[in-house]
Amino acid sequence: MPKEVLLVEDSPGDVRLTQEAFRDANSSIHLHVASDGVEAMAFLRHEAAHVRAPRPDLILLDLNLPKMDGREVLARIKRDDSLKTIPTVILTTSEAEVDIVKSYQLQANCYLSKPAQLDAFESLVKSINDFWLTKVKLPQQRQSG
Amino acid sequence: MTAVFSDINVRKDAEKHLAQMEGRYRGLLEAAPDAMVVVNQGGEIVLLNLQAEKQFGYQRDELVGQKVKNIIPEGFAERLIADGTRTAAEALAQQIGTGIELNGRRKDGSDFPIEIMLSPLESAEGILVTAAIRDISVRKEAEKHLAQMEGRYRGLLEAAPDAMVVVNQVGEIVLLNVQAEKQFGYRRDELVGQKVKNIIPEGFAERLIADALRSAEDALAQQIGTGIELNGRRKNGSDFPIEIMLSPLESAEGILVTAAIRDITTRKKAEAHLLQKVEELNRSNEELGQFAYIASHDLQEPLRMVASYTQLLSKRYKGKLDSDADEFIAFAVDGASRMQRLIHDLLAYSRAGTSGKDLLDTSSEEALQEALINLRGAIAESGALVTHDPLPAVLADEMQLIQLFQNLVGNAIKYQSPGVPRVHISAARNGARKWIFSVQDNGLGIDSQYFEKIFGVFQRLHKREEFAGTGIGLAICKKIVERHGGSISVESQPGQGSTFRFVLAGSERKS
Repeated sequence: MPKEVLLVEDSPGDVRLTQEAFRDANSSIHLHVASDGVEAMAFLRHEAAHVRAPRPDLILLDLNLPKMDGREVLARIKRDDSLKTIPTVILTTSEAEVDIVKSYQLQANCYLSKPAQLDAFESLVKSINDFWLTKVKLPQQRQSG
Repeated sequence: MTAVFSDINVRKDAEKHLAQMEGRYRGLLEAAPDAMVVVNQGGEIVLLNLQAEKQFGYQRDELVGQKVKNIIPEGFAERLIADGTRTAAEALAQQIGTGIELNGRRKDGSDFPIEIMLSPLESAEGILVTAAIRDISVRKEAEKHLAQMEGRYRGLLEAAPDAMVVVNQVGEIVLLNVQAEKQFGYRRDELVGQKVKNIIPEGFAERLIADALRSAEDALAQQIGTGIELNGRRKNGSDFPIEIMLSPLESAEGILVTAAIRDITTRKKAEAHLLQKVEELNRSNEELGQFAYIASHDLQEPLRMVASYTQLLSKRYKGKLDSDADEFIAFAVDGASRMQRLIHDLLAYSRAGTSGKDLLDTSSEEALQEALINLRGAIAESGALVTHDPLPAVLADEMQLIQLFQNLVGNAIKYQSPGVPRVHISAARNGARKWIFSVQDNGLGIDSQYFEKIFGVFQRLHKREEFAGTGIGLAICKKIVERHGGSISVESQPGQGSTFRFVLAGSERKS
């Protein structure tokens, strides 16, 4: 069964780069994209156009997003009993200590910063795939929202 | 006969009586401290005492029967004549007890100032006038001197560029100059005798009272020459900033206080202006620091896209297009990578100036050890021998001190000629509180014309193919040392190695 990944990212360049990196790492995963926080929540709650959206196995969340920023999205996910068990990985350019602390306080499952070089980025995506989508055991029973 | 005898007896008695009276009167006359001259209504001298002889330089018999005009040329005889039109008793009575200032003339013709007091004296020859004459040369001289002094003092007072106000110990204005009139907008007579509080509402009168508890001299001496900033109040009620300087002034009325009052409105404005400029400068410096940080941070985002996609292009299409395409893509990849390093270093440079910690007692030896750990890869790779003397405790931001050693030792290893790189770090005292650190290498050396240039941002002496790097390392070193209040310099000759020296303040603890 293919893995479902939700990428919450507003920069098309980053979206494409992530898609390319995942294609190299694991061509079988389904990468869904939400370009802002509001759309991410709609996807997760199967609202509007996302009625048939699958429940993701992993969320990759940028912090700086239009409409509703990543911190708010993270807070809502972790407050929601049906969503809080989904591993949520922060993937952002920020290296600020305040962002790192805040993210972990909001129960982020881990915090990653985007490397500047392509090689490093590809290797990071590979690590994500190897760990979160391969090695990690997730609950089997999916609660319905 | 009897009658004749008795007549004679009566006369004899009278003469005897007269002689007695005259003897007493003469005794009184001679005992008087002043020159005494008795004059009749015709202005002739009838009698005089020894003092009168002395004062005027005549023998007694040279004066008796002479006109008083000879010794008092003006003012006395006329008075007698003028008085002649009234009753003499009336006229004289008027003058009793009031001293008249005239001039006396000695036998040698010289004049001198006198004060005479007149009193009437009834006698058988009619009403005589007794004149007590006092030589007032000394007093006149003293008065003249005093007037001169006062004139000079007033001259000084008026010539002073500041407003001058003289105040007594109870805070009343005794004297002031024209500048004071102008500054406070009062006429002189509106201020003299008034409380100084009217023109300096706070801080001055209180000071006089407080000073009264100490000895006045002590208190004032303390304040001499120290300007006190207070507010002055004009007649129209408006206040203005003043600076006053106090000095004590001894006078017959006790110690007075002379206050030199300067209107410092302009200076205050200039000070405020200067302060504002300093604030603006600080703000703009801060903004500049922020700007460098934000700019370099935000520039990284799009640059990451450029770098990533040119690298992706290179990875996917190298060898699949023509050789030109491969070359163009390679330049784009290289340019983007270099720009990333530049921005990264610019960010580090900006941080060196804006995000430093407080300067604390720091072991420079431990900081060096830390730097050497960070450089262990480069040291191992080059086979460099890095040695150091015992190093002192200094006042520093430890992270920045590590960075400083790391950049300097790193450079020493990097810019090497063939052979084993040797680097030695030492420190020597420079005065009581400073240390000069030296980082000495046996590397390529630097031509003296570049000694200044190498500390600039992005200044490089070598081609990129020879040595990698953006040329920010020494600029960061300079910024760190300057933030610590020190300086950095280099001494070198091409082929002879280089010695970088920097100065830091020693630890305040005894070491």
